[in-house]
Amino acid sequence: MNSSRARPDAPASRPAGVGELWRLAASADISEWESGAFQTRLVRQWCEAHGLAGAQIYRPDGGPVASWGVLGKQETGLEHDLVLYYAPGDEAGASGNRTAAPGAGTPAGSELAGILAVGLRLRELADELKDRKFHDNYNVVTLQAVYDVGLAIASTLNLEELTEEILLRAVSLLDARRGAFYLRDAEGRLALAGTIGGGAREVIDAPPAASSDGAALEEAAAGVIPAAEHSLAVPIEGDGGSGNVGLLVVADKESRTGIGPFAAPDRRALSLFANQAAIALTNANLHRQALEKERLEREVELAAEIQQGILPSDMPSVGCFETVGWSRPSRQVGGDYYGSLQFAGARRGMVVADVTGKGMPAALLVSTLDSALRLLIDDALPGRESTPVEASAELVERLNKHIVESSAPNRFITLILVEVDPGNRSVRYVNAGHNPGLLVRRSGDVTPLGASGLPLGLLPSATYRVDAVEMEPGDLVCLYSDGITECESTADEEYGQERLETFLRERRDRPLSEIVRAIDDEVSRFGAGLPQGDDQTVVLIRCRAA
Amino acid sequence: MTEGLKLDVERRPNLAVIYTDGYINNQGGEEIAEAAYALLDDGYRSLLLNLQGTKIVNSIGISILIEIIEKMLEVKGRLAFCNLTPTIEKTFHIMGLAQYSTIYPDEQAAVSELQSGAS
Repeated sequence: MNSSRARPDAPASRPAGVGELWRLAASADISEWESGAFQTRLVRQWCEAHGLAGAQIYRPDGGPVASWGVLGKQETGLEHDLVLYYAPGDEAGASGNRTAAPGAGTPAGSELAGILAVGLRLRELADELKDRKFHDNYNVVTLQAVYDVGLAIASTLNLEELTEEILLRAVSLLDARRGAFYLRDAEGRLALAGTIGGGAREVIDAPPAASSDGAALEEAAAGVIPAAEHSLAVPIEGDGGSGNVGLLVVADKESRTGIGPFAAPDRRALSLFANQAAIALTNANLHRQALEKERLEREVELAAEIQQGILPSDMPSVGCFETVGWSRPSRQVGGDYYGSLQFAGARRGMVVADVTGKGMPAALLVSTLDSALRLLIDDALPGRESTPVEASAELVERLNKHIVESSAPNRFITLILVEVDPGNRSVRYVNAGHNPGLLVRRSGDVTPLGASGLPLGLLPSATYRVDAVEMEPGDLVCLYSDGITECESTADEEYGQERLETFLRERRDRPLSEIVRAIDDEVSRFGAGLPQGDDQTVVLIRCRAA
Repeated sequence: MTEGLKLDVERRPNLAVIYTDGYINNQGGEEIAEAAYALLDDGYRSLLLNLQGTKIVNSIGISILIEIIEKMLEVKGRLAFCNLTPTIEKTFHIMGLAQYSTIYPDEQAAVSELQSGAS
């Protein structure tokens, strides 16, 4: 099957020197080696130099290396003269199997075999180098993919786009034939969010997210792509220990010869993509929460505007009584209320109320209180024969019933209502569990206007007593919420009623607007260094000199 | 999202366009190679692969595409690509495919250049 023989008419043999063969080998480029053209040329030159009709060179496994000339015993009828085998690792061919041809003067082919061995090895190395370069480049592609997915996560919050991107990268980089991406739905099941290659189940019966049992989840995922022979699944962990929120699955690792199982590095790579998916999901959730927060903030701003509209911009003067009001919520909206109510005749009621709690729930109850007050007064105005005293008591009692019916349990309102009549200086008041109003006489004496009933909203059958005091010119009434007296300092001390009384006593003859501004400054100074803990409201009523 | 590869071949004067839709993996790559070698046998020396419907290529698919490029170079032909996703285009550059083939943004640009350059 392999042969070389001396031609009968060959000229005197002129062996090709080793140096000449090497020079020839060195002049060939890789493409000539790859095509086999050079090997043929080399064998030919060697054969011609030795007067041989042809030669074939094989590897020990029988694979052809090179040949030239008249070949094959059957075709040519020639006897085998020389058989040369290339043995890997033996460039000179010295230990290669060599069958010497019968007869003397047969040329030795070890030099040729050596050169061809080197050439063949070079070709193998070139192939190895090509493979290595391919894999090195593909490693760059993998790193680039991880980087790109990171960028994508940072640049988009479209969860559908991101999950598709992550699935595409994971399937392609792991050479998977199929893949699937699952996310927990509202019912806690893992629902198919995307697939490549098809055949994935729509829903997986998986352990609950809270169990965080990744192994059980992977086990449950083993058959999620029924058509696949080899699956690899990695859970996607939610942030803050919220358990697994999804699953990334790849199946059937491809090679040129078919499909097979995934290896340990594949699991690490898939975990990397699962981690990125977790970040994408977290970002998307945070974005959703941010949007929701923004929406709520807009609503709160709107509520604050509405509440601002509820509170009066000016408090009217009634006969000899001048009034002023001021309120500052601790948040955007508050639970304090003040207002001026028009009673039958020319009588007016000044109200300060404080809803339990703060923020939006308290603000909603303030709105309810304002509406109820105005509706009940309108209802009581025409043709009522009741005395002012009866009217005030009845108003608060009806208001209490309404608040009991319309507010949530554990919600109540403290309220003080002071009714003034322009025709005389008699002042009536009802105090439903509110801080005592302070009547500061012109002399400096202070009389508290204490509670005469329960806060509104506690007991539907609660009754309220109307009390009355006579005001003299220069006397001052201060209605306030507990945000003033319970204002705390950094020394953990409350401002208190006593300080307020002293403060009012010292400024009782100042203009009302100046007193209100001074109270604002005073409590702000007192509570400096701490956030405002509660809504603060003040209403002042002064009886002017006739 | 993505199923197996679908192929369409359009034979034009001096140029054949192979349209792919789906995953270029082992199976998909072999289908492309089969179509490309059939076109070579029919005498086409300029082939354009329009990957408009392909979002994903794996390493096996890439190695097959490299083989097709080598085969084209052996017969003094050329293979070009168009309508690649940014990810696939970046991958082709890293893997060296762009060194031995031309990547066009769209089919119109590719056809106009390939047909004008065809002998």
